[in-house]
Amino acid sequence: MTNSKFYIDAGTTWSKILEIQPDGKRVYSVHKTAVARTFEHNYIKVTGHTTNKFAKNYENEVVALALGSKKYLEDDFVALDLGSRDIKWVKYKNSKFSDMDWNSSCASATGATIEMLLKFYDVKVEQLKFSEEKYPITCGIFGLEKIMDDVSKGLEPSVAISKFIHGIAFNAYNFTKNPKKICISGGFCENPCFIESLKNYCEVLPLGRFVLVDGLALQE
Amino acid sequence: MCKDIIGFWGYPHPDIIQKAKDEYKNALWIDLDINYGYKSSKITPDAYCGIIKNIFDNAYFLKDRLIKILAGVGKDKCDAGFFAAHMLKKEGFEVEISYFEDAKPLSSLPDLPICTSNLPLKEKIEKITLNIIENKDYSHLEKSKPRFGFWGVPPNDLKILDLFPNDTHIFGWTRCVEAKNPANVELEMFVQEDLPTVFFAQTFCQKTLLAKYLAAKYNGLYIDIDCIPTNSAYAKIEAFLRLR
Repeated sequence: MTNSKFYIDAGTTWSKILEIQPDGKRVYSVHKTAVARTFEHNYIKVTGHTTNKFAKNYENEVVALALGSKKYLEDDFVALDLGSRDIKWVKYKNSKFSDMDWNSSCASATGATIEMLLKFYDVKVEQLKFSEEKYPITCGIFGLEKIMDDVSKGLEPSVAISKFIHGIAFNAYNFTKNPKKICISGGFCENPCFIESLKNYCEVLPLGRFVLVDGLALQE
Repeated sequence: MCKDIIGFWGYPHPDIIQKAKDEYKNALWIDLDINYGYKSSKITPDAYCGIIKNIFDNAYFLKDRLIKILAGVGKDKCDAGFFAAHMLKKEGFEVEISYFEDAKPLSSLPDLPICTSNLPLKEKIEKITLNIIENKDYSHLEKSKPRFGFWGVPPNDLKILDLFPNDTHIFGWTRCVEAKNPANVELEMFVQEDLPTVFFAQTFCQKTLLAKYLAAKYNGLYIDIDCIPTNSAYAKIEAFLRLR
């Protein structure tokens, strides 16, 4: 086990780890970042918001996303990573990296906001169903205000959160410049309500939570 | 306090510069566009071009030492430069207005040894801006084959330039300055097709329009940065340079 190679994408809330064992077997795991910090792995490459950006083995998150998603991308498709607190995307054209954007500190509302809302209203992610309606959430704070207003008027919290998620999906579609297809990376892949909302605007291919660590491992 | 500084911004007309050099032989020349970290004059709105903020901050901080200010106000600078010149005049500064708007055909412009050299990008830009006054000959610099392009004005915070490799060539207004043609919009819009280029403008500057347009047209990276670059801005540039 000690000869395994480890790669980590240490996000604000969750850390995604890839272990490549000596026989080539790949083991993926997700941990709370606070817990992952206690691990004593010697990481070959690290990325993510909570890593030391000046460390020698640090890799830019956009580069990790671009490398990890390249095999899925065709003309005019983009890979979008929607995290706890940031949103970033890359696009390839004719197998060449062509465009990107990264909103690293305020993506209006992202994964952490949804997790807080689910806890606050005691709603399970499985209870969320796609809502035709959406909140305009150019500002996440205004979006939260709308949820609270509607819930106080009697709307089911799960419906209100679904409208909020639809707003996030619409923002993501606009932020990525309205592509034909979006390949989604990150925790939102496990949120069917988000995927269904985004499908309202374009084709969607969920890639899972380990795209960035796969990108790190590709560099070796 | 003795007055010993001539301040300037943009690229004042060479005749005006020469006249001031002749008249004030021992004066120290200070480019007021540059951020020296002086305290805020609080003249501009918060949401305003960082370079124009620098002009006011520097002018007020150096007020007692400024002999005069040579102020570029025409198409060679911007409307904000025009307003700043008139405001500072009203506030008692000695301001000499300059228009440097002659635009030569691209075919008759001089060689651009600094823009096309292999010097670090930051050094290239520093040399070009210093040369507005120094007027040194850099024809001895060796040309490099460009791997990347940097389009734009000298950024408020030059640290982002450290991200670029030495074989980055300069385009946009900074190139116009080396060509001694700061209002030449044809040259300002010239880029090398297929050269991966970062199109930079200061946030709130009118040149963001050109930068965004050219980035889309030439498949480059558009980026606007306010006073201090965010981590996101660094990362975008770094990713663009790594992935292209």
